[in-house]
Amino acid sequence: MGPRGKAMEEVIRQSEMIENDYVKKWKSEGKKVLGYTCVMTPAEVIEAAGLLPYRIRALGNPHTEMADAHLSRFNCSFCRSCLQLGLDGTYEFLDGLIESNGCDHLRGMFENWQYVKEFDFFHYLKVPHIMTRDAMEYFEGEMELYRKAIGEYFEVEITDRELLRVMEEYSLIRDKLRVLYEIREGENPGMTGAEALAVILLGSAVPAGVFLDLLDRVIEERRDTDISGYRARLILCGAATDEVDFIREIESVGGLVVTDALCYGSRAFWTVERGGEEDPLKALAHMYLENLLCPRMFDDYYSRRDYVLAAVSRANVDGAILVHNKFCDVHGVDNVQLRMDLEKNDIPVLQLEKEYGAKADLGRIKTRVQAFLEKIG
Amino acid sequence: MSEYKQAGLFDRVASLLDVVSLIPDDISDEEVEGLLSLLPPDTGHTMQALFIPRLRAASLAFLKMVSKWLFAARGAAREGRKVILLPFNFPPEIVHVFGNSFPITSEVLSTLGVVALEGQGERYWDMAMGLGLPDHMCSANTIELGSILGSDDFKPHAVISGAPGGCDVNAKIHEFVAHYLDIPQFILEKPTDDSERGRDLFNKYMRGLMRTLEEFLGEELDEDRFRMVMEKANRCTELYHELWDLHKATPCPVPNLFSLFLYGTRFTMWGTDEGVRTLQTMVDVARERLKEKSYPAEEEVARTLWVYTSYYYDFTNFFNWMEEKGYTHLGDGLDCFFPQPVDTSSMESMIEGVTEAAWNMPMNRQVGGESMSISWLEDIVYACQDLKADCAIFCGHHACKQTWSVASILRTELMKRTGVPLLILQGDSWMKQMTPMSVIQRDIDEFITNVVARKGKRKRRPRRREGQEQDA
Repeated sequence: MGPRGKAMEEVIRQSEMIENDYVKKWKSEGKKVLGYTCVMTPAEVIEAAGLLPYRIRALGNPHTEMADAHLSRFNCSFCRSCLQLGLDGTYEFLDGLIESNGCDHLRGMFENWQYVKEFDFFHYLKVPHIMTRDAMEYFEGEMELYRKAIGEYFEVEITDRELLRVMEEYSLIRDKLRVLYEIREGENPGMTGAEALAVILLGSAVPAGVFLDLLDRVIEERRDTDISGYRARLILCGAATDEVDFIREIESVGGLVVTDALCYGSRAFWTVERGGEEDPLKALAHMYLENLLCPRMFDDYYSRRDYVLAAVSRANVDGAILVHNKFCDVHGVDNVQLRMDLEKNDIPVLQLEKEYGAKADLGRIKTRVQAFLEKIG
Repeated sequence: MSEYKQAGLFDRVASLLDVVSLIPDDISDEEVEGLLSLLPPDTGHTMQALFIPRLRAASLAFLKMVSKWLFAARGAAREGRKVILLPFNFPPEIVHVFGNSFPITSEVLSTLGVVALEGQGERYWDMAMGLGLPDHMCSANTIELGSILGSDDFKPHAVISGAPGGCDVNAKIHEFVAHYLDIPQFILEKPTDDSERGRDLFNKYMRGLMRTLEEFLGEELDEDRFRMVMEKANRCTELYHELWDLHKATPCPVPNLFSLFLYGTRFTMWGTDEGVRTLQTMVDVARERLKEKSYPAEEEVARTLWVYTSYYYDFTNFFNWMEEKGYTHLGDGLDCFFPQPVDTSSMESMIEGVTEAAWNMPMNRQVGGESMSISWLEDIVYACQDLKADCAIFCGHHACKQTWSVASILRTELMKRTGVPLLILQGDSWMKQMTPMSVIQRDIDEFITNVVARKGKRKRRPRRREGQEQDA
């Protein structure tokens, strides 16, 4: 759909690897990597400890045979796919795991991973499912325990000063990602949805400094680029979608994904604003819990709906694709409500349930997307 | 959809049980036979299972309790009191404490619909699917909630969602119903944190919920009423433990179906006279059977512990079939709520007591624990050892993503720690389409015949290395 520059080429190439070249370099310098999964994990704390925070992904890996011996076929195939990579050695570069209670499947994935691999460092960051004063106080305490656990195990003092520095860096990243989305969402989009996902994916698998540099270069390359040849502008909403190929397939039949509400996409950064200076941990607790636009949160559906409606309007989309992986309850139910609300607002919706990483699903999905595009475009 | 609305599950079950409540306690065999001939096939099938002589007294007590429960809910709504929909993992006595409200429990209603209604719960499930809800929802609540959403059924005034932290699917569907009906949703999250911090947060949540309920109901908690409910809850607790202990006898004098009656009472009328009466009848029946050494089969072949739920869509061919084969059902995970007496000396102590009860509701204390696998495992190990189970069965209800996600750890560790094998089945506990009962029965039979029964008889032979000569 458009030309790729050197920076984007580099992003795409690196984002297609689980252990990318930056991770390899990091490890070769004798430094440690900590794995986490959910967007609600404040990676700043890990980075401030001098460790590399690595957001676990499966990149569409369709194989789950080892994981299936632990999880079941009634568990989400994204989690099974990640567990597979955990068990088959792909994630051997991790020096520990941060569990979080994103959903029942993810918790099961972490427990089985730990049961088999027995990481020396394994910390469970417990995130409340509601946003109340009590919940916030609790989460502030969790942040203290999180810092303490990492600090003690890796024998490093995570100072407020270092934390503030990293927070500043992350804040800059979020600002630049918003610029990237402006390029993507504008009247003449400067990048495809697949490219945008690749950028964000890489961002949670490399040191912040590296990502900042790459972002600058990508923005520079794409600022004046126009993508052409598409039939409709789409928003993609839903579950843990780190499958760049999935978006590529949607775009191959003429639907340009100009924005998203994905947890590997805009939900990871869009509403998160840098907190106050006084107590960085407290600020992080507020930044993350108050901006957690994930259906695992309760009493908060209307914020998620409004977030999607705002993106729809901002990016001037022609239709919405809501996707969830089979057996994902939190997105499965939220997407039904979201479909009803989007349709009430005259936004055409295609709701897709799919198996993660399954190539066998692609033909069916492409047909449905094509039919949807016929309808709206 | 409104043009085609149909009678709802709640209303149909309530009408049926209105009739059951008129049945005299001393109904004769001939009268039962006459009654069964009048009932439609699915309903008759269930009633046949419930009215076999060894179960009859307890079944009637249970059905009359449930009838009263449904009648009271309708009465409460008529009188302008608020009917609050709960999930099974929230203690109903908290709602009974308020004079202006009454609890109904979605999973109990689904189960009643499945066992008592012609066509079981399928039409209501279809109504939920018709709205576009995914087919991996839990039928335990989606059947009843489908009825609320899609039919002219009795509607609650508010929802208490007790599942955030314990079960995503349960929490999401209850939230969906609250949004769809535009009624308030009150949340009691179960922190997945077994430390003092987790307890403290839960305590705060509970107090916050009670304040919210006071506000919603326009009623302050009344200490005397609270005490009265808690005293009855304490009596239920005593009877629970007596029944638990009766399970320990060999052969087990507690009929298989009592497992369901026990938690059916827990989830509805715990802390009421009807709840006490039902549990007392169950204890009396079991005691009598212990005295007479009654057991439905020639011998007790296997003592099975069901680690989460059982199967409910076919009473005759499940609980009673097992019992008649000599397969004792010692209870399932839903019976593992281990209630403790509530100190009724003050308002404060009673709030602490119900908070503890809520923390320990089934699911909350197991997969809602800090470690889903270990918290669940510890309860199952305890129950297996205390009740002398020689095998365990996981029904594999397909919507239970949390239990499915750690069932393999449970299987491995249960065997390691107790030597008790775990059979993992697959099916839907509330709907017959997924796995036919004949398949479930065959799997249980094969497991007990080939693994459990042989385990007791088999002598351990030392393993030899290749080439090593056999001892003379």
